[in-house]
Amino acid sequence: MSATLESLIEALRCLPGVGPKSAQRMAYHLLQHDREGAARLGFALDSAINRIQHCERCNTYTETSVCDRCQSDRRDTSVLCVVETPVDLNMVEQTQAYNGLYYVLMGRISPLDGFGPRNLRLEQLVARASDGLVKEVILATNFTNEGEATAHFVSELLKRQGLKVSRIARGVPVGGELEFVDSGTLAQALRERRRLES
Amino acid sequence: MRPVKVERQAAFVLHSRPYRETSLVVEAITRDYGRMALVAKGVRRPRSAMRGVLMGFQPLEITWSGKGDVVTLHNAEWQGGQPLLQGRALLCGYYLNELLINLLPREDAHEQLFEHYSTTLQTLSASETHDAAFFSAALRRFEKRLLGELGYGLMLAHDTSGQPIAADIRYLYEMESGPRIIADSSASAGTISGQTLLDMDAESFDNPVTLIESKQLMRSLMAFYLNGRQLHSRRLFEELADL
Repeated sequence: MSATLESLIEALRCLPGVGPKSAQRMAYHLLQHDREGAARLGFALDSAINRIQHCERCNTYTETSVCDRCQSDRRDTSVLCVVETPVDLNMVEQTQAYNGLYYVLMGRISPLDGFGPRNLRLEQLVARASDGLVKEVILATNFTNEGEATAHFVSELLKRQGLKVSRIARGVPVGGELEFVDSGTLAQALRERRRLES
Repeated sequence: MRPVKVERQAAFVLHSRPYRETSLVVEAITRDYGRMALVAKGVRRPRSAMRGVLMGFQPLEITWSGKGDVVTLHNAEWQGGQPLLQGRALLCGYYLNELLINLLPREDAHEQLFEHYSTTLQTLSASETHDAAFFSAALRRFEKRLLGELGYGLMLAHDTSGQPIAADIRYLYEMESGPRIIADSSASAGTISGQTLLDMDAESFDNPVTLIESKQLMRSLMAFYLNGRQLHSRRLFEELADL
């Protein structure tokens, strides 16, 4: 096997879930059946690596030093929503129920995997949340143990800066019938019930 | 010989890691089969029924089949009744899991330890309003019983010469041997008071000095048995304290 082909196969293995066999299949496929696609892939990867960076304010991916959302003057600068990933950010955006700004952690704290606070850019979050305009930080990390651990650490960190911190609510989903809701969710919804004001 | 299929076994997930595209390898502690590894196929798919169930610190009943080092998980059902761990309690839970993963050999049944782990989680989950001392006491109790179950039980009632521990004497706790009386009775580093040993024996951690000294003793014991392995959860506690 040529050295170039070998290094292509080796390079493809960096993708999650791709072992030596799949990498070899991909390499042969690209070379035999889709050279044009391979060229596009190579170009797209090259330009993505060179042009996509983290937004200086919200840490999400952007081609400019500050992303369009953070530059927009139609956003409410008094609330900052903290999410784990850009995908989570998109989900919150889709709700059209939130008009504030974001901070993307690009990960979560997972103690047993050795992934701790030092692996997240938390100094940048503290600086962002302390801009004087942010009045409330909403923690929208996942409701998994890792998401909770992350929320706990981040809330302790931000509360020490004198910031007001809140956590998104959890419970029975919209349109959810109790009969079909999983019992863990229902149990938590009962514990975190709220009083109806008269 | 282990049965090929085991149904509805009481268990807790200790840790899980992604495996292939849509699966997980789950490290769990079970009541009758001890710590084991299970492959949970397809559970990372969005609509998998087990997706939200295989969460750490929650009482489950699991069904698996297979022989060998890694068996196949077929079903997991949430047993309920326990709030999710939050805040400091959650970090304590991670610490317990890390101890079990590092110290408990696989497939060694420890029913008592399982029960105690379960009770400790309940204590932690019901403790939103408690202070740091409450959590420390819960961890010390668990550590003590864990060492006992592993066959490294602490010697807390007698010293190395067989004499009963006296509350007002200071001792040096020697690894795998026990407390030895020291001539110099001042509270020098690494020594422990007889009172602390007696309190630990009785699992009574109300005295603040007992809490501090037992923590130091347990820390050196754990370091000894962990044999150089570092605990990530402890580092997280320290990072939190450094804020």
